[in-house]
Amino acid sequence: MPSCVERPRSACALAGALAAMSALPGVVPIVHTALGCGGNLSGSFSLGAGYFGSGYCSGSSLPTSGITEREIVFGGADRLTEQIENTLDLIDAELFVVATGCMTEIIGDDAPSVVGEFEEAGKPVIAISTPSFLGDSYAGYEILLEGIFNYYLKPAPEEEKIPTLVNLFGIVPAYDPFFRGDLEEIARLLRALGLSVNTFFTPDQTYENILSAPKAGLNIVLSRIWGVDFAENFQERHGTPYWITDLPIGPEATDAFVIEAAEKTGISNENAKALIKNENEIYYGYFERGADVFMDSDFKFYSVVASNSNYAIPLTRYTERELGWVGLDTYVTDQLKDEQKEILKSAYLSGGPRAELLFETDASQISKAIVKRRPENRGQRYFDSVSPLFILGSALEKKTAADRGAQQLTVSFPAFNRMIVDRGYAGYRGGLHLFEDIVGSLVYPKG
Amino acid sequence: MADKKIRQVAIYGKGGIGKSTTTQNLTAGLAELGKKVMVVGCDPKADSTRLLLGGLAQKTVLDTLRDQGTVKDLSNILKEGYLGIRCVESGGPEPGVGCAGRGIITSIGLLERLGAYTEDLDYVFYDVLGDVVCGGFAMPIREGKAQEIYIVASGEMMALYAANNIAKGIAKFASKGDVRLGGIICNSRNVDREIELLRAFSRELGTQLLFFVPRDNEVQRAEINRKTVIQYDSEAHQAQEYRALAKALDENTSFTIPTPMTQERLEEILFEYGLMDALDSYAEKI
Repeated sequence: MPSCVERPRSACALAGALAAMSALPGVVPIVHTALGCGGNLSGSFSLGAGYFGSGYCSGSSLPTSGITEREIVFGGADRLTEQIENTLDLIDAELFVVATGCMTEIIGDDAPSVVGEFEEAGKPVIAISTPSFLGDSYAGYEILLEGIFNYYLKPAPEEEKIPTLVNLFGIVPAYDPFFRGDLEEIARLLRALGLSVNTFFTPDQTYENILSAPKAGLNIVLSRIWGVDFAENFQERHGTPYWITDLPIGPEATDAFVIEAAEKTGISNENAKALIKNENEIYYGYFERGADVFMDSDFKFYSVVASNSNYAIPLTRYTERELGWVGLDTYVTDQLKDEQKEILKSAYLSGGPRAELLFETDASQISKAIVKRRPENRGQRYFDSVSPLFILGSALEKKTAADRGAQQLTVSFPAFNRMIVDRGYAGYRGGLHLFEDIVGSLVYPKG
Repeated sequence: MADKKIRQVAIYGKGGIGKSTTTQNLTAGLAELGKKVMVVGCDPKADSTRLLLGGLAQKTVLDTLRDQGTVKDLSNILKEGYLGIRCVESGGPEPGVGCAGRGIITSIGLLERLGAYTEDLDYVFYDVLGDVVCGGFAMPIREGKAQEIYIVASGEMMALYAANNIAKGIAKFASKGDVRLGGIICNSRNVDREIELLRAFSRELGTQLLFFVPRDNEVQRAEINRKTVIQYDSEAHQAQEYRALAKALDENTSFTIPTPMTQERLEEILFEYGLMDALDSYAEKI
């Protein structure tokens, strides 16, 4: 791991938990940290997630103990108690999550014992530990899931289990900027197979979905890294098995996903095949018209992907296998442990990609690596200049693209040069959206 | 600040070694020499000025902050004790909560803002708690506050371990600022060959044995009476010793960047000067 990060593509654990809570119905944070943490972090992930914005009791209007020097010296337990009391009094929510920050953790404030008194009195409050030194925002997402699903929710009795109910995890709110669109598309397909689906983080969900999670027959983790340990612990507590898979983008990956999802949930193969047939007809019905401009304009590119571990593999597969582009490099930009890198490498290689999988978080290093890893033009008669080049990355890759004379589309965090509402790139619909956005980025400048 | 430079001195050493006792008796000696002295207790126990004030008569800076939210007037937290020595206690949060280290930083910052460091002062002494457990307790030697450090030690092994560790901290801050080690003050525990051991230890540390304070029960008698020895029994031999210590410190010109030793080297010195021999002979006697 490098000693410093040039421009971060994530924030602290608290930010990850806050981003997730801001999309979680009925759940309100009580931030136990210094004045400013909550609002500033909400600002950063809102901007980075394509102007995600804030909802009920999030953004710059969330409950916080707002500690100052006085609480640092004397301890912040009394202030936290007061804040919890006031919040319970004033704010309408189903569950309150006390999330700590660096300062209260450094001085050793015992938030769980403060919260414990409220829990004993039957109040719906839990405490999670989310200082930056425990991890980044991806870790914060997992810490929140652990707190709500593996600590707060009690296991469901066996007779209440619903085998056809599925929970979706692994897509990290805000840090996967298309999380809502992606979750909705995956849920749409699973529902078409006859399953019930909890996405938790999309606007159609209610607190009832959270409460029903322990009854589910399967957890699908749409990430090789994030949410995997959580799903293991979920299985231990609630007895729900889990399936780890990549987020499918485009018809080839989604066909395989549908087949396997049906297998895992006991849905017949015929049903799966019928769904695939139907979806493919729609997909290619649209795609063939778009393919006119794609082929006629000769939109053939070398491609570089710079994204987090959730998106890097699916995007590379899409560009190589759906668009027929030549993959050069795939840069995984979130900071992973060595064993996590190994997991990702083996998952990546199983897809047989042309591009090499690399781990780098700094935009300038990615920019240099793209050049360095290619032979120099020494005036030879035939020279592969790896041009034209298309970079699927974050807004930080815009400069890299400009420097290299490449095309660029922002598809990962931080995505501050586009607005993202319900758009997603997962599944069949998402595959079309990605096609639309890629071709769109090539034809817009012509207007 | 004034043209005259205030000598800011921090006293460190293993817990229980006698830092507070030594500091108060020493400052009493300095006050007798006509020096204007302020003692800042940087220990949550808040017992650094008990002998000068004749008891725990002082509300600490942090207690005042906790109760009143702010300290409006220096007189709330600063009291004059024996021979006009100004006494301040930083205090701390209740054990197990909050951050005592940050409390020290807050207190010293507050003293500066309230104008406690007046130009007529000759000395400010920081009496810091035994274990420099975190950055807050290094505050007196950071940011150019105390420039002179003295370590109180004895011939006991753990006291020397602690002194060596403190020297590491000083060496770290000395490389970036003006802080220097002024010497070791031995508060004798009547260990065999103590003075030779302390001299050798000081030499190895690149400093001097500033003074050897012999063990004397007069100190305990004075403490029970909440007085420094100089005040309790001005003619006592031990009072003369503390006067001599005050003089040695006042006249000290040797300020060095310490050269802390490895654990192995420290143990070698301990072997050399008989701690281990003493153990052997003790075993023989049995």
